[in-house]
Amino acid sequence: MANSNNGAADPTWGPRKDLDVLNRDDLRRIDGPDKTTGRAVYTHDVRLPGMVWAKLVRYPRARGTVKNVDVEAARGLPGVVHAAAVREAGETIAFSGSDSVVALVAGETPEAAEDAARAVVVEVEALAPVVTADQARADGAPVVRQRRRRPPKDNFSGLRENGEPDEVLEAVAGAAAQVDVTVEIPTQHHVCLETHGHVVQPGEDGEPPVLYASTQLVSVLGQQVDDAHGKPRVLTPHMGGGFGSKFSFGLEGKLAYELAHELGRPVHLMLSRSDEFTMGGNRSGSWQRLRLGADAEGTLTALHLEAEKHGGMGGGAHAGAPYHYEVENVASSIQSLHTATDANRAMRAPGHPQASFGMETAVDGIAYQLGMDPLELRKKNLTSPTHHRQLDRVAQEIGWNDHPNRVAPGKADGGVHVGIGFGVAGWGPGSRKCQVDVTVEPDGGVVSATATQDLGTGARTYVAAIVAEELGLGIDQVTARIGDNELPPSVPSGGSVTTGSSAPAVKHAAHLAREALEAKLEPVLEAPVGSYTWKGGRVSVTSDPERSLAWREVCALLASPLRVTGETQKSLYHGRIHGAQAAKVEVDTLTGRVRVLKMVAMQDQGLPLNRMALRSQINGGMIQALSYALLEQRVFDAQDGYLLSDSLDTYRIAGSREMPELVAIIDDDDERDAVSGMAEAPIIPGQSAIANAIYNACGARLTRMPFTPDNVLEAIHGKV
Amino acid sequence: MQPFDLQVPRSLEDALALLPKERSYDGAQLIAGGQDILTVMKNDIAAPTALVELDGLVPGEIEDDGTGGLVLGATATIQEIADSGLVRERFPSLAEAAKSIASPQIRSRATVGGNLHQRPRCPYFRHSGVSCFKKGGNVCLAEFGFNKYAAILGGGPSYFSHPSDMATALIGVGASVEIAGADGATRTVALDEYYVLPDEALDRETVLGANEAVTRIVVPAPAAGVRTTYLKFKERESYDFALAAASVSVVLDGGKVASAKVVLGGVATKPWPSPEAEAALVGQEMGPDAWRAAGEAAVADAVPLDMNGYKLHLVKGVLFRALESLV
Repeated sequence: MANSNNGAADPTWGPRKDLDVLNRDDLRRIDGPDKTTGRAVYTHDVRLPGMVWAKLVRYPRARGTVKNVDVEAARGLPGVVHAAAVREAGETIAFSGSDSVVALVAGETPEAAEDAARAVVVEVEALAPVVTADQARADGAPVVRQRRRRPPKDNFSGLRENGEPDEVLEAVAGAAAQVDVTVEIPTQHHVCLETHGHVVQPGEDGEPPVLYASTQLVSVLGQQVDDAHGKPRVLTPHMGGGFGSKFSFGLEGKLAYELAHELGRPVHLMLSRSDEFTMGGNRSGSWQRLRLGADAEGTLTALHLEAEKHGGMGGGAHAGAPYHYEVENVASSIQSLHTATDANRAMRAPGHPQASFGMETAVDGIAYQLGMDPLELRKKNLTSPTHHRQLDRVAQEIGWNDHPNRVAPGKADGGVHVGIGFGVAGWGPGSRKCQVDVTVEPDGGVVSATATQDLGTGARTYVAAIVAEELGLGIDQVTARIGDNELPPSVPSGGSVTTGSSAPAVKHAAHLAREALEAKLEPVLEAPVGSYTWKGGRVSVTSDPERSLAWREVCALLASPLRVTGETQKSLYHGRIHGAQAAKVEVDTLTGRVRVLKMVAMQDQGLPLNRMALRSQINGGMIQALSYALLEQRVFDAQDGYLLSDSLDTYRIAGSREMPELVAIIDDDDERDAVSGMAEAPIIPGQSAIANAIYNACGARLTRMPFTPDNVLEAIHGKV
Repeated sequence: MQPFDLQVPRSLEDALALLPKERSYDGAQLIAGGQDILTVMKNDIAAPTALVELDGLVPGEIEDDGTGGLVLGATATIQEIADSGLVRERFPSLAEAAKSIASPQIRSRATVGGNLHQRPRCPYFRHSGVSCFKKGGNVCLAEFGFNKYAAILGGGPSYFSHPSDMATALIGVGASVEIAGADGATRTVALDEYYVLPDEALDRETVLGANEAVTRIVVPAPAAGVRTTYLKFKERESYDFALAAASVSVVLDGGKVASAKVVLGGVATKPWPSPEAEAALVGQEMGPDAWRAAGEAAVADAVPLDMNGYKLHLVKGVLFRALESLV
C-alpha cells in the first residue's frame, strides 16, 4: 500500500474481522420496506398531471404484408386522444416482435386506450410464418433476415469454426469412452416483474424531457434519444427486474417520446404482458450435438461440437467449447439459425446455461459409461482448485457420499427414485469506470450518490453501506441516491459489472471523504491523516483512543458541505469467480413427475459486501435455473405464427410449490480483498445439475428442455 | 375487455330474465366469483354487454342432506369446499380436487358452480387473435398444431381438454346439478350426462340453456365402505390445470374389488368416465396387476395427436398411483 507524504493511503477493504456493516448476514435492503409496502414508485406507477396512456396495436402473427391499418373508428371513441398507424400499406412485417407493431393509440385513461386499440382495423396478408427451427432450416424456406448487400441465401449466419473437425472426430471414435448426444433448448423469457416501458414528460420552455424508464443504463439511456428537445433527464428510482433485457430505449420508447412531444403531454407507455412476451427479448434457444471422447481413466481427450443458436432475428448466444472442462483436442462449429421471431437479448449469463447443458450432459454421460463417480470425473477434468473445493462441498451438503447411485444410475422401473446431479459455473465479472459523490453535511447528514440502477440486486444498499463502514456509521445514517442520470455517471448493468464498477468507486469516495475529514481533525485531535479509527459513530486517534470526537462533532467542524468524488479503483476489484451446484430430485418413473428436492450452490466472491443479498442472488440463480429446467418454454403455433405463450398462464414459471430446499453457500476460503458482481454465475449450471440428477435417479437422459412429463416420459418410453 | 353493465337483480328469476335465450358473443352472462368469465372477457372470447350478479341469489352453503349426502350451493367457494369438515369426512376426493385448483387467491373467489362451467383453456381458444371452432370459426388449430395439452379422448372436431377438476371429482361421487330456468322451472341433471362433446355442440360444453343457472349440486350418500381419491397431475404444482387427473372410488370385498368408479380429467373434451377401467378392476385382486389393466383399458380407445402421446403413459401412471393410494 503506497502512503503519500501526508499520511493518506490508497483505500483497501480491510480485514474482514474488522467490518461492522459489510460482509454481514443481517444487512437488510434499505429499500425493502418501500418495496414491500408499495411505497416504492416504479416506472409503471408514475402519474403526471395531464398524462395520457398509450398502447401498442400489434399484428398477432409472425410475417405478413400490410394491406390497411384503419384508425378512424378508434379516433372517434370517447377519451381517445391519439390513434395513428405506424406501418403503411405495402410494408412487410418481417417478424413477430417490434416489427408487429402497426399502430399507436392513446387515451385519457388506460381503458380508453384499450378501447382504441381494439377499434383499430388491421388487414395484413399473411406470409409463411418461419417461427420454428425446422421451418427455418427447410429447403426453400423464406429468408427471414434481409440485407441489401450480399443478401443471405438461407436462414443461417455467423458460422464460426474452430479446430480440426476430422482429427477430432477420429480421436472421439478411437476413445475408450464416447458420447454422442444432441440437446435441444427452447427459448426462455426474462419475465421481468415490471414490463419494458417509459413515462415521458416532454421537454418544453427550455426544460429538458424527463424519461422515467425501466432501464439497465440510467447514465447513457439518453444517448439513444434524439436530443432535439434537449438532453433528457433519466429517472429510475426503482426497477422491477431486467436480467439483461433492458438496454434499449426500444420502439416503445421512441413512440412514447415522439407522442409526448407531439401532444405536449406526458405519455405513459408500458408494454402489456403479451407485448412483453412478443417484443421484450429472450434467451436464445439452442440445438447442439456433442461428440465427446475420454480415455479409460476418464480424462477427456476430444470434443466435437456442432451448435445452432436460435435467437430469432438476433444472433443468439453460445459460450463456446469446451465449456469449463479441459479437453485436449477440440473442434466446434457454431452458427445462428434465424426465425421470424423477436431477437434474443442479453439474459443473465448469455449463452452460458445453454453451453453448460450440452457440456455437462456429455461429461456426465462419459462418467457413467466408464462406471466412474461423475463427481470425480468432473474434478479430474477441471483445473481450478476452487472448482474442486466447491464441488466437494456441494457434494457433501447434498448427501452424495451416502447416495447409493454413485457410479451407476437407478432404473425407470415404474418406481419413485431419488437422484443427484452436478454442474459447474464460472464468470468474469467486469469493471468499468464510474463515479460516486459523497457529501457530508455540517449537521451530520451523509449522502452517497451515483447514477446507477438497482435491478433488484441490492446496489442501493451497498451505495450507503460502504460509506457507513468507512465512516464508522450505521447504514441508516447514510442516504443513498441512485437512478438519476444527473448524478455522477455509472455503468450499464450488464456482464455482472455493476458491483465491480460501483462499489470500488463508492469505497474510493468514502475514503476521500474520510481523509478530508481527518485533515479537518488534524488541528483538533492533533494526529495526521491516516491515523484515525472510525467506529461506532466516533472517530478516535488510533494510537490514543482517548482523543476522540462523536460524528456530529466532527461534522460541526465543517463550515459548508464537504463533497468528494470517487472513481472506480481497479485495486478494489477482482474479475474471476467460479461456482458449483448440486441438485437432488425425485422422479416418479410411472408418471414422469420430477420434483426437485434440494439444490445447493456454492460461489466464491472475494469480499461479500452483503451476505444476505449475496445468498438471495445465489438462491435467485438456482430458482431461475430450476424454472428453466422444469417449465419454461416459448411456444409458437407453427401453422399460422401465433405466439401462444404470451401470458403467465401459458408461459409457466416456477411458483412456491416448485421450490426445493435451497442452500446457498458463500465460499469463505476465497480471501481476496476485492469485490465483484456475481449475478450471472449462479444461474448457469442448475438445469444441468437437475438433468444429471434425473439420469442418476432412473437412467433416463433428458436431452430436451424443459423436463416436463412429455419429455421425461419420452426419454423413458420413446415417442408415442 | 369491453365495457359492460353490471346488473344486480333482486331475485334469481329476475336474473335469469336478463339473460338471452340463445348464446352469443355479446349476450348478457352470469357472474359469481368471476374467475373464468373475466378472463374470457379479457381474452376477447366474449364481450357481454351486461354481467348479471348471482351473488346472494343462489345458495352458497355446504349442507348435510340428512341421509349421508351433501348439498353444495353453487356459489360455495372452492376454498370453502376444500376446508369443509363435512366434505372432507364424507367425500375426501371432493376436498382433494378443490385443494388442487389454481391458487389460494383464486380458490377464495372461485365458486364450485363457476368451476363446472369454465370455458376451455386451450391456448388457441384463449388467444384473442385466433379463430377456432369453439369461437364460431371453422378450424381447430390444435389438431395439427400445438397440442401438448389437448385431449386424447373425445376429440373432434375440437381437441381442447376439459379444465374442470370439480366436475371430474363430482361425477366420481355420482353428483347431480339442480338447474333453475327463466320461467321458474327447475330440473335436475346427473353430472355424467351434463357435459357434451364437441361433435354434439361447439358453442357450449354443457346441456345448460343460455338462460338457465345451476343452483345446487347434490351429492348422494357414499356407499358403505367406499374408498375415494382424486389425484391430479399438474405440470406446475403451484398453479395449473390437470395434464391428467383421476377420480377413483372402490369398494373392496376382502382383497378384491367389489365395485369401482373411475373418471378421468384433463385428457378428454369432457370429464371422462371410464367404464372400461372399472370393468378391468371389478372382481380382480386390488393390486398392481389390476391397476395396470385398468390403465390399459382406460386408454384403449385414446387417439393421441402429435404432441400428446405422453398422456397415454401419464393417464396409466396417474390411475395406478390413485388406486395405489386407496390400499
